Amino acid sequence: MTKFDSGRLGRGAAYVSDPSGSRHAKFMQLSARALIPLGLLAAWFVVGVAGKSYEAAHAYLGRPFPAIALIAFVAVAMPHAAAGAETIIEDYVHDDALKRRALAANRWAAKIVALAWVAGIVLIAAAK
Amino acid sequence: MANADAGRQADKRPLSPHLTIYKPMLTMAMSMAHRITGAALYLSVALLALYLLGLGLGPSAFAAVSWIASGFFGYLVLFLFSWAALHHLLGGLRHEVWDRGLYMDPKGRELMVQATLGGGIVLTLLLWIASAIAG
Repeated sequence: MTKFDSGRLGRGAAYVSDPSGSRHAKFMQLSARALIPLGLLAAWFVVGVAGKSYEAAHAYLGRPFPAIALIAFVAVAMPHAAAGAETIIEDYVHDDALKRRALAANRWAAKIVALAWVAGIVLIAAAK
Repeated sequence: MANADAGRQADKRPLSPHLTIYKPMLTMAMSMAHRITGAALYLSVALLALYLLGLGLGPSAFAAVSWIASGFFGYLVLFLFSWAALHHLLGGLRHEVWDRGLYMDPKGRELMVQATLGGGIVLTLLLWIASAIAG
């Protein structure tokens, strides 16, 4: 029997329960519910922009309701996506160091994508 | 972070049965589809963020990103994005039903899978038709 080291990062990590799972599951469920209306709205406005010229797309997305709906969508969708990608990384990346790096990259990527999205919308709506 | 593989002892423990052990089933395929569409949505939202940023920065920046939402490739991106979003949304609703213990019997779960698979395709087509009508 291995000597028991307490703590998540010690050798005992494989033997202790990690209660963060239920918080993760609850968050996924809650954000998923919020994404029912927000995802439908986002899909509608994203499809609406198909094939539009610069002027047409700018005018279309610069209106208050699409702009607010798309910002609200990404504010919930990116944390939801990051949490989902976290599960995928934990399931398939087995090398410990690589896993840590992938998890950190995922957290940053989600923030950067959300920031770029919001900055884009704000610039579009502000220029009107 | 769940870290079940730490420690040398982990190597000696039996593996839990994974995908290759089971007979392929529709419910399993849909579980995989839920993950794949989720990951694809992450990537397509990143792509669309680039498009929005280009649109916000002005006509010359827009020229560099307009391929994301127009032309053959753009329509393909938007069509797959909308399908993935609706399919993933229905997948979530399927789990809301299953979480309540409903439709868990062999017939019920097959029905749920078929309804979400077909529903995703039908809703995507309806979305594009409605969008074309709305202009």
